[in-house]
Amino acid sequence: MKSILKIALGIIAALGGFLDIGDLVFNTQAGALFRYDLLWAVALGTLGIAVYAEMCGRVAAVTGRPVFDVIRMRLGFGLGLVALVASTVVNLLTVAAELGGLAIILQLLFDAEFSLFVVLAAIGLVIVVALLPFGGIERIFGYCGLMMVVFIATAIHQGPDWGAVAHGFIPSLSSSKLYLYFVVGVFAAALMPYEVHFYSSGAVEEGWDKSSLKENRLNAGIGYALGGVLACALVVVSGYLFHPLGVEPGDLGTVALPAQGAYGETGLLLALGGMMFCVGGAAVDSSFSASYNLAQFLGWEWGRYRGPEKAPRFTVSWLVFLFLAMLIVLSGINPVEITEYSVVFAVVALPMTYLPILMIAGDRSFMGGHTNGRISTTLGWVYFAVIVVLAIAAVPLLLMTNGGGG
Amino acid sequence: MHERRRPMATVALVALGVVLILFPGCGDLSRDELNRGVESLSALAAQGELIANGVARDATKSTYPGCRSKTLGGEAEHEAEKLADAEPEAAVKAERNAAVQVAGELADLFSELQTFPGDEHHGALVEKHMGEVKEQADAIVARLTGEPAQ
Repeated sequence: MKSILKIALGIIAALGGFLDIGDLVFNTQAGALFRYDLLWAVALGTLGIAVYAEMCGRVAAVTGRPVFDVIRMRLGFGLGLVALVASTVVNLLTVAAELGGLAIILQLLFDAEFSLFVVLAAIGLVIVVALLPFGGIERIFGYCGLMMVVFIATAIHQGPDWGAVAHGFIPSLSSSKLYLYFVVGVFAAALMPYEVHFYSSGAVEEGWDKSSLKENRLNAGIGYALGGVLACALVVVSGYLFHPLGVEPGDLGTVALPAQGAYGETGLLLALGGMMFCVGGAAVDSSFSASYNLAQFLGWEWGRYRGPEKAPRFTVSWLVFLFLAMLIVLSGINPVEITEYSVVFAVVALPMTYLPILMIAGDRSFMGGHTNGRISTTLGWVYFAVIVVLAIAAVPLLLMTNGGGG
Repeated sequence: MHERRRPMATVALVALGVVLILFPGCGDLSRDELNRGVESLSALAAQGELIANGVARDATKSTYPGCRSKTLGGEAEHEAEKLADAEPEAAVKAERNAAVQVAGELADLFSELQTFPGDEHHGALVEKHMGEVKEQADAIVARLTGEPAQ
């Protein structure tokens, strides 16, 4: 009974913590521009992150090695260093985007200067991380992020043409560069590399072993699948409300508008509250990921569970990443623009993150009887092929569409 | 945050537009570029209408329309300046001037909403006017593209 409860709580945390600013921005814009046509890309991205998160969790549980350990082992120092630099840049941009997003939401709720909220948000995150154990951090953001369920309720309340919604899950391509740019964006937003870095390092933090494999499967499978429903709900509510009116959701504040339309002030507060915890949780995850990668690559002691005394360089690097992210946001760059760049550049770094995982998870000499099965192997390689194609197309599409501006 | 924007903003923006027509600046504004600019104005007006609807129904937290109006009003002003600053093709001068006026009206409406984010009466008025401004913007788009307004 206790283990079922533990698994259920893990699934709820995975669900509540599934979305980040990239999902909020790209999915809402995708709905406004293309109505329900890009739901298939959201579903595809969600399945992809579930497949790779399960592999990462399994590798961590069986071998005790998190992702960046595996990357250095498989790619060697030179290529590993390239992967480290690429993922660190992407992670730093992601932390900045999430921190800026958090400040925007606080501004919408409490109405004061943006820069003040950037500093307060950073201080708040440091306090939360200092006071709570690893599991507590994950759960507080995950559970409170469940307020995002208001978007599912909003979709039901709006009563869209469910046939058209279902049709959106059928993959379709278009020659429109803007459409292709959003395919890349929506897919990549679901597969951000920091998510697997954090997931696998978190598994080590929580002391997962072979007995945790079932928990890993259910977290990755059910938790992420339910998170995908939330991501789809963002597309649906935006497609229903914004698409016919021609609204262009160019910033984070617009995301909450459909919930206000459906449920008034309560809906608005739930939406902003849910977004705040999702984005805040992602700020912690991505900043931790940047430090995990650095520490694992350089062989430092790492882990929140060790505390600042036993892992001082890890702790200092985390604070430095958060501080640098704060400076980026305070420089005046729009957090939504930072988000778009972080998501698109993440696509370029994706192959270097996912290939070593795929190779290790399929290596019998390393994984023993817990290697990838036929389904995981097939899905893993299919996704890897898709990721490579997107990695090649991402930057040209970003330039051709002027960052999605058309 | 709640600084009251001058009610003269529309007049100033239109005056700016007129000055720039008499003393044309550099750069070309093609029909397509003007169309994109006016479509952005229409999108801003649509969003403004939704926000004002929340105020009119007393279905929002006042900080939300306040902050959103400040942001969106700034975008409308920026668009107005951009349009007024550009030298349009001769065939679309009238549409450009109309677009500058629409942008100015939009900026004023957001200013109104920013000043009274919790006033249902003002919310209802702004909602109605936002709808009218959107119609004007859509009519300009229709003239530019030759397609009927939505």
